This record gives sequence, structure tokens and C-alpha cells, in this order.
Amino acid sequence: MSYALSTLWYERQRYMPAVLAVAFSCLLIALQCGLLLGLFSITSIPIDESRADIWVGHPAVPSVDLGMPIPEAWQSYLALPEVERTEPYMEGFAYWKKPTGGMELVLVIGTRLGPDSIGAIKQLTPELRTLLSEPSSIVIDEGEFARLGIDKVGDTAEIINKRVRVVGTVKGLRSLAGPYLFCSLDTARKILNPPPGQCTFILAKCHKKSDAPKVVAHLREFPKKLSPFTTEEFSTHSQLHWLFKTKAGIALGLAAALGLLVGAVVTSTTLHAATVASLKEYAVLRALGIPRWRMAMMVISQAFLVGLSGIIVSLPVIFGIAYLGNVVAKVMLPPELLGGAFAITMTMAMCSGLFALRSLRHVEPVTLLR
Amino acid sequence: MIATMTMQDLGMPAVAPTTTPTMKAEGITRSFGSGDTKIFALRDVSLELYPGQITLLMGPSGSGKSTLLAVLSGLLHPDTGSVTIQNQDLWAMTERQREAFRLQHFGFVFQGYNLFPALTARDQLEMILRWGNGASARDAREKTDEMLDILGLSKRAHLRPLQLSGGEKQRVAIGRALIKQPGFVFADEPTAALDWKHGQHVIELLRAAAHDQASTILVVAHDSRIIPFVDRVLLLEDGVLFEGPEKPGELFNANPVQTGY
Ligand SMILES: Nc1ncnc2c1ncn2[C@@H]1O[C@H](COP(=O)(O)OP(=O)(O)OP(=O)(O)O)[C@@H](O)[C@H]1O
Ligand SMILES: [Mg+2]
Repeated sequence: MSYALSTLWYERQRYMPAVLAVAFSCLLIALQCGLLLGLFSITSIPIDESRADIWVGHPAVPSVDLGMPIPEAWQSYLALPEVERTEPYMEGFAYWKKPTGGMELVLVIGTRLGPDSIGAIKQLTPELRTLLSEPSSIVIDEGEFARLGIDKVGDTAEIINKRVRVVGTVKGLRSLAGPYLFCSLDTARKILNPPPGQCTFILAKCHKKSDAPKVVAHLREFPKKLSPFTTEEFSTHSQLHWLFKTKAGIALGLAAALGLLVGAVVTSTTLHAATVASLKEYAVLRALGIPRWRMAMMVISQAFLVGLSGIIVSLPVIFGIAYLGNVVAKVMLPPELLGGAFAITMTMAMCSGLFALRSLRHVEPVTLLR
Repeated sequence: MIATMTMQDLGMPAVAPTTTPTMKAEGITRSFGSGDTKIFALRDVSLELYPGQITLLMGPSGSGKSTLLAVLSGLLHPDTGSVTIQNQDLWAMTERQREAFRLQHFGFVFQGYNLFPALTARDQLEMILRWGNGASARDAREKTDEMLDILGLSKRAHLRPLQLSGGEKQRVAIGRALIKQPGFVFADEPTAALDWKHGQHVIELLRAAAHDQASTILVVAHDSRIIPFVDRVLLLEDGVLFEGPEKPGELFNANPVQTGY
């Protein structure tokens, strides 16, 4: 390893392209994933900002914003000793008719509004909740006015021929798809018009939050097919749904694969060229009877060191760009993501090393005798 | 130090000097190409080499010197013939066995220096012990220090090939061949790229290895000024081997001149 390190350092100019290519791959993967994670964390905002411990939905529910009607009566399944109380949750897409003309798809979210409500997002202050208890009143994020074609609190618009009025705003709840409209259960029912006695989700709060996984496991055993999740599970489930089932996830995969391919080609070409440049030296070692695997280890060690250097080089750049990028879009870089990006990058570097091994086939000691 | 090392250290039986050959080659032929363009590089070459002797192989360009060296050292398969060392036929072994045999018994010096540009003189030598014999870092370091001392390179141990003169580089290359204390050393034109002063030093190092360690050393060279320094001369002409003058040192009536190293 130390010979590989000396070589890498002494001939750093030769190895620089490979290190930079690895750094580039790592950067691309980490930032792409971080950006998408930031983007998709938005899709689970209504889950993360509620106070529910458990979400129960239709068996086929793929994501929080794609709920399907279930009977409110299912609440009885949740009459368990660990469960403190339950409540229905209404949610669905609807078309918002902009006063300025045109339509906008919006996500209507109706919850109970009392101080002990489980579904209402934490940003709804007691004042806002009082205002929302008026029929047909809604709260939106302060950044959504333009998208909805209105100017200020107090403006009205039509959703499927029903007039609604904006009574207040919240911060930091912009959505990925349609803007969120927060309202009361009654308002949501009026807009979405579900079959009688149906809601979209049933939320539950446990006496102890730590009991939630146990309750969920119990509900999964039910003969009646439910789709129960703890809040954390449901949040991840929703994000992953968007990640994998949308084009964004595919785009991420392609971009990352492209970055990896570039990194792999440059790295293996560099290692190959470095080995070929030392063919005569390796040939002497072979003449002296030093086994081939020692030389293979040298190449692999170099690959490892190139990978490691690349990752180290990429670190400050990743954080720098993420910091700057946060002004425009949310970039999330949890340790798991960074670890994953490093692991993938390192694997790529090591595979390049393995690929470069074929250069050792040209080591022929007899060519030294002429 | 190197003077106290004997053949026992190398795991070989002690041999009476110049009586029992350490290497015996019989009926070696080797050709290249086929049909009209077929060249016979070696024609029925037989020879014996003795421990503690440095043997010089001379001959015109293209006479087959390098080819013979390659066959004797297990790097090039002969068409016919055998190379016997310690009752083992080198060319009856598997590739792997031959590799292990070379590791245990053979050292090489080639015309080019063939040193890793990124590694120091010390690294180049240490590497052979670490990789070849799996020596511990400490052992390798000690042996390397001794060898650098013998080579007169102790003060230049930390330098890389680019910072070393041609003579110094060739001395490192010689150290690489000798550091395993091999029973046999094969050198192909080790002095060709050096001026006579440095070439002489290189030959003296090889000669010392033969005499002090009872190694069997075969050197290919053009320069007849080397003759006084060797114990025996072989001549190769058009693939046929002849024994050279009996006592080369006396024949040329020259004594090895002490160099200033
Ligand atoms: N790989 C090869 N392919 C074809 N012919 C070869 C090959 N190697 C050697 N020869 C031929 O074999 C003959 C002997 O070559 P060799 O290299 O042994 O000569 P040499 O005595 O070492 O010459 P020099 O003093 O120039 O190094 C030459 O005619 C050479 O052209
Ligand atoms: Mg030659």
C-alpha cells in the first residue's frame, strides 16, 4: 500500500484526471440524490407535520397525496388498548379555477381542527383553526398566491363550482405537485364529495408513541386488508413512491450512471496507462519470481487510493454547492446518503482497478533480454 | 555482513569450489520463426557453470547471447535440451514451479535500469524482500541498509531514479538482483550504458557477490576490458558456444584497478 501511495503522490499529475473523475462522480451522485431527497421530502410534509403516530389507508395506497376512499367505520379496528384516539382525514386532488383564468391542480387536506386534533398540521395556529371552522375557508402557503392566481388573504376562488376563501397563510409548506389547501373536514368533504361515510385516511395517536410499530404490526395481521403505517414508515413510503415511480427517479438513476461511467472510464484508463508505463519494472519483478498477484494488488491499491482521494476532494465541493444551492432548492445530505454515495463511488473505483488489471498481461520478462 | 554469508544460508548444499557444477545445460537449441525466415539462435549448446565464479559470455551482436541467458535463467523455453540445477530440470517444471524457483535462486540485472520512477532507492530494494520473501518491514529494512552500504549508496537511499546518476541507478538495479542473496545472478549487458569507471564498479560488485557468497554469476557483455575481472570467459558465435582463454585475468595481464568508491 505504501508503494502505491508513494507512486500516487509522486506521479500525482498522471493520476489527477482519475481523482477528479472520481470526485466528479461522487459529487454528481451525492448532489443528485440530495436534491431529489430535498424535493421529495416535500411530498411527505402533510405526514411529517401532523401529530399522528399511525396512518391507515386503502390497501392500494401508494403515497400520501394519492389516497383512496375508505369507510370511516374502520376506526373501530383501531379500538386497541395502546391507541388513545383516532380521527378521519380527508384528502384529494381538485381543480382550482383561477380568478385570472386557467386551472390549477390543488391538493385539498381536511382535518379536525380542535386543539387535540391529530391530523391538523402544527403550523395551524388556534387563530387560523378558528377561522377555518367557518365553512369553505382555506389556508395556503404564503408562496402559492401567484400559482393560484390570487393576491391576498381574503380573496376567493372556485373549486368545482364551490366558492372558497383564503383566510390565512402558513410558511414552508409549498408542495411539489399541486399547492396544498388546508381546511376543515367539512370543507374538504364539500369540495371532494366522497361517498357518504368515507374518508381517505384514518389517523391514530397512541398513549405511547413507541407503541406505534406494535399496533401497526397487529393491524397487518388483520383478516381485513388494511394498509397501516407508522408515521415514519408512511413518510418514507411516500417519498420513495415519488422517487421510484416518477421520471425524476429514472432521471436520477441515469445521471448517476452516466457520472459513474465517466468516472470508471477515466479511472481505468489512467490506471491502465500507469501500469503500461511501468511494464518493464514489473517485468523485472516477474523475472525475479515475484508473484503476479503482488502487482495486481499494487494496481488495486492505486485504484483504492484514487477512489479515496476523489471522495476526499469531492467533500468540500459537495457541501459548498449544497450550501449555495439551498438558496434555490432544498438539498438534503443525511449521513446515509453520503455514505451510500461514497460506497458506490468506491465500488466504481475498485471495479476500474480490476478492469485495469488486464494491462498486467503484457508483463513479459523475456523482453528485457535483447 | 555479506562476507559471512554462505551457501548454507541459501538452503543449498555446500559445494567444493569449481569441482561440482551448480548449473548444467545440455544440448540447448532455440530457433525463431519458421520456414525461410527461420533463425537458429542457439545450436546444441552445452555448458556447466560453477559456484563462486563469475563467467563472462561474449560474442558478436546477434550471436545468441541474450537468448542463451534467457534459456538458462528460466525466462525463455528452449526448443530442445535441458537446464539442470540441483538435480532439477528447469524446463520440466510447471510455469508456477519455475517462478518459485526463480524467486528462490535467481537474481537479474538488465541493460536498462528499469527502476520505478516514483520509488526511492531504498524502496526499490525493500520491495523485493517484502513482496518476494514476504519479509517483515524491519527485516527488509535491515537487509536493505546492508545492501545500500555495499553498493555505496547509503547516503543516496532516499533519492528517486530521476535524482540518481546512471551508475547509481545501475548499482540500485544490481542491489535488486543481489538482495535476495540468490545462488545465481544473470546480467545482460549491465555495463553497456555506463562509462568505464562506473562499468568497472558494477563488475566488481558482481565479482564480489560471486567470491563472497559463492554465487554462480553469468554476465553478458561486449566490453573486453571486463575480461580481467572475471574467472572464466565463454564465446558464442552464431549460436555455437566455445570455451574462452583459460585464465582470463592472467592472459590479459591486468589487475583490477581499485576505483575511488
Ligand atoms: N523474439 C525473437 N524473434 C525473432 N528472432 C529473435 C528473437 N529474439 C532473438 N532473435 C534472433 O535470434 C538471434 C540471437 O539474438 P540475441 O538477442 O540472443 O543476440 P545477442 O547475442 O544478445 O545480440 P546483442 O549483442 O546484439 O544483444 C538474432 O539473430 C535475433 O534476431
Ligand atoms: Mg543481447
